[in-house]
Amino acid sequence: MGASLPPKEANLFKLIVKSYETKQYKKGLKAADAILKKFPSHGETLSMKGLTLNCMDRKTEAYELVRLGVKNDIKSHVCWHVFGLLYRSDREYREAIKCYRNALRIDPENLEILRDLSLLQAQMRDLSGFVETRQQLLSLKPNHRMNWIGFAVSQHLNSNASKAVEILEAFEGTLEDDYPPENEICEHTEMILYKVSLLEESGAFAKALEELHKNESKIVDKLSYKELEVSLLSKLGRPAEADKLYRVLLSMNPDNYRYYEGLQKCFGLYSESGQYSSDKIEKLSALYQSLSEKYTRSSAVKRIPLDFLQDESFKEAVAKYIKPLLTKGVPSLFSDLSSLYDHPRKPDILEQVVVEMEQSIRATGNYPGSDVKEPPSTLLWTLFFLAQHYDKRGQYDVALGKIDEAIAHTPTVIDLYSVKSRIMKHAGDLTAAAALADEARCMDLADRYINSECVKRMLQADQVTLAEKTAVLFTKEGDQINNLHDMQCMWYDLASGDSYFRQGDLGRALKRFLAVEKHYTDISEDQFDFHSYCLRKMTLRSYVDMLKFQDRLHSFPYFHKAAIRAIRCYLKLHDSPKSTAEEDGMSKMAPAQKKKMKKQKKAEERAKKEAESKSEESTAGGVSKSGKKNVKPVDPDPHGQKLIQVEEPMAEASKYLRLLQKHSPNSLETHLVSFEVNMRKQKFLLAFQAVKQMLKLDAENPDSHRSLIKFLLKTESTSAPTTEAEKLRWSVLEAERPSISQLQNKSLTEVNEEFLGRHKDSLVHRAAYAEMLCLLNPSKKTEAIKIIEDSTNKVVQTNGAQIEWKLKDCITVHKLLDTALLDSEAASRWKSRCAEYFPWSTYFEGKRSSVMPDSVYNTSRKTNENGDTPNHPMGQTELSDGQVEAFKSLSVST
Amino acid sequence: MVCIRRATVDDLLAMQACNLMCLPENYQMKYYLYHILSWPQLLYVAEDYNGRIVGYVLSKMDEESNECHGHITSLAVLRTHRKLGLATKLMTAAQAAMEQVYEAEYVSLHVRRSNRAAFHLYTETLGYKIHDVEAKYYADGEDAYDMRKYLKGKQNHQHSSHGHGHGHHHHHGGGCCSGDAIETTQAEDAKATTSK
Repeated sequence: MGASLPPKEANLFKLIVKSYETKQYKKGLKAADAILKKFPSHGETLSMKGLTLNCMDRKTEAYELVRLGVKNDIKSHVCWHVFGLLYRSDREYREAIKCYRNALRIDPENLEILRDLSLLQAQMRDLSGFVETRQQLLSLKPNHRMNWIGFAVSQHLNSNASKAVEILEAFEGTLEDDYPPENEICEHTEMILYKVSLLEESGAFAKALEELHKNESKIVDKLSYKELEVSLLSKLGRPAEADKLYRVLLSMNPDNYRYYEGLQKCFGLYSESGQYSSDKIEKLSALYQSLSEKYTRSSAVKRIPLDFLQDESFKEAVAKYIKPLLTKGVPSLFSDLSSLYDHPRKPDILEQVVVEMEQSIRATGNYPGSDVKEPPSTLLWTLFFLAQHYDKRGQYDVALGKIDEAIAHTPTVIDLYSVKSRIMKHAGDLTAAAALADEARCMDLADRYINSECVKRMLQADQVTLAEKTAVLFTKEGDQINNLHDMQCMWYDLASGDSYFRQGDLGRALKRFLAVEKHYTDISEDQFDFHSYCLRKMTLRSYVDMLKFQDRLHSFPYFHKAAIRAIRCYLKLHDSPKSTAEEDGMSKMAPAQKKKMKKQKKAEERAKKEAESKSEESTAGGVSKSGKKNVKPVDPDPHGQKLIQVEEPMAEASKYLRLLQKHSPNSLETHLVSFEVNMRKQKFLLAFQAVKQMLKLDAENPDSHRSLIKFLLKTESTSAPTTEAEKLRWSVLEAERPSISQLQNKSLTEVNEEFLGRHKDSLVHRAAYAEMLCLLNPSKKTEAIKIIEDSTNKVVQTNGAQIEWKLKDCITVHKLLDTALLDSEAASRWKSRCAEYFPWSTYFEGKRSSVMPDSVYNTSRKTNENGDTPNHPMGQTELSDGQVEAFKSLSVST
Repeated sequence: MVCIRRATVDDLLAMQACNLMCLPENYQMKYYLYHILSWPQLLYVAEDYNGRIVGYVLSKMDEESNECHGHITSLAVLRTHRKLGLATKLMTAAQAAMEQVYEAEYVSLHVRRSNRAAFHLYTETLGYKIHDVEAKYYADGEDAYDMRKYLKGKQNHQHSSHGHGHGHHHHHGGGCCSGDAIETTQAEDAKATTSK
């Protein structure tokens, strides 16, 4: 490095490198300039100056200098290495790899560059490249532990666990007998456990167990030791020993479900589905009886049998389980039992049991058949339980009766209001739900949980501004939503995006959904630093788990939801071209609302100008005196106005679609949006793939049916193929047609009729049929509407619960009548009919809903919802200037 | 009702969501990754019967003045899952691992002065003592109690008398306890996120 320079400058060059490493950039810059004064074209100095500037946020100059550096000294590995580092800092990993490779061509054994290359290969999952680089590193420096471990891990990641074991064994061969030294006990433990898990992964269970036992004294993590041991014993088919060990583990932690599951497996008493023969139920019951005598503190041992016990024995066990918890007042009891509601008979039994308790306590103050007096709170928690029970069964009037009685009984218990709020939400009154959640929140302003819950309810009720103000009470910086964003608060992004979407503000909605996507990208980037860190720390099992987690990251629910919703925004943008989109939105609004919108627009423009001038200031000012960046970058598009200006919404949508198809292939929604996108892009073969996937996942789903019909109608109605591409497409579809069982030489009308025939009693299926009938034959509109209106809302006895129509479905049907079938009279008939079924529904203007002027939750009775300021937690009422500013700008953007 | 177990990497997103629901001190995902990739034995979760994460403890090892000790970074339980003793169980599990795996001398933590429920849990149920008060520790200006609990077998071991050649104490120097090298946007714990 710095070769070809005279001694004085060579020293200065060393200083630049050192300053860069110690982050003393100004010093480095000074040294670089001193060299360049004498040798203005010195490539390595130019490069290092560029790299230094990069750290001072002067990107453009950085790239110029680094490029010039390479140009002036193309044979310097330093210049190429620096170029790679620059790309790496911008997450341009592929480009960075190219640069490192160039550097290595000049200096093939440069350890530093090889190491940097290996990190990128791990990050990019270039696994064969990773193995190669790690092997080189090991052969160059075999006396480094990290190089052995790195090579082993690379083989493991490249699906060669047994090779990884060999490498670790070779490494062990280099160690002294008294290894490890005292200060490396933890690392050594991790290494042994990693080796054992590698053996387990490669199927060498016996050897794994032997290895584990051999090293028992050296392993300080006793819990991992036992858990690995028991897993190996089970896999080796040694149930007696496994049984014994599970009991040891249970005595340490009697609430770990996995241990019970393992124990059941030892006795051949485990089924994935949870279904057992009566013989097995008896054995299980005896097993848990004996366990419960041993682990008296365990709640799992009492809860698990409720899953397999049936009828009378279930009834007895569940009563025994519930009583002490009601007496103690455990608020999560209902949620603990909620999975039992999937069973055909258990919900009825539960109802019977708890109603008996309620009656007995009211009459005598005791549980049935007991002479122990219960405290007054037992009735309260019994009512609390029943309210949730009736809510779950869709009997909202009974549920509300119970919760109101509970509130009258003890008005100070916050949980009661939270549950009432949830019931209201299910019953269809989101405004009342939000008001109740706010009431709960005000009862303990220091508790963030009820604040979060309240914010969620407000967003569901489309009170975004109020929700923001409320959420901000708990964010540190006081500068509103940014903190939630910085902390990757994804539920908030989603709920707020959903609300904007409902309100037709696609810009803000997209902004929020794409924010979630950004969080996932950041999390994926987070792994970078750990590629070298974990090799040093030896936390290899966690490291490999982390890599696998990262590979599956985009299949986690938040991402899935955000991507689906973003695509739906793009679909809307595609369907309503830019020029008309805004006016459309405006024309549907009431005049008052229009005025509000206009006002908001003006405020937005003002804010935008301010933001722009601010950002100019901050770039002009550059880095502040202290050398730190203390100005947060200003978002140039805070309301997503630029996002909705996108030229090709379908191209954008496709980006997220690809991620969904890769990571959520089992979700019907993935293929539904794929169908919608590809139809619009006229990519009919891809659309057909989507239809096939939907049919495979759930052939009877109304959306699968709709997509099939829409697809065939579209492709059949297009005129005979003319171009080569069309001919090809046509022949593929002809060849595929017979594979779809629904078709079999039938006309589309027949397919539709058969669909109805199979689902005569289902509202959503009838609606899908009607919609398709109209699509296939517009003259049959009256008939279609009649099919919908003739649906009967009966009480069906499935699952023991009263399955009546769902509110959500009725709303969908209303929208269908109103906007797709365009029959406002039918829509209005439907509305008044549903208002009877759902008296709390604000959508249907039910008579007990908050849209009624006499409702206590009616918002027009109060002042403007965004006018009042939410109570601040911890009694703080003074606002900092920043907050006041934030409030001002918020209140105009209602 | 609720299962206490060691956290895996797959739990981290749910732990972060739980933290954001319950507490004002929040962290980016990288900080959770840093914990689990440094001290995989020191993160525990409370999982309800439906498989949902309803509580967690995030803790770490710290090295100061030759004393290898544990530190509770964050502890939270959903309000809906109170009265089950989850916080106690989570804390006990983390403390036990600190002692067993890392031979920690003591465990430290910070708590808001106004948080009476948490203070009660730490002092009455778990045996923590106030070691110091840190003025304006939290972003909103509130003070924190710096609390400590000496672990079993180390109860009599006074902080000040340390280092007199009680040869029976093993410290794994450097190795286990030293943190480092990963730059997380939040630094060590809530303290750093709050200091201006």
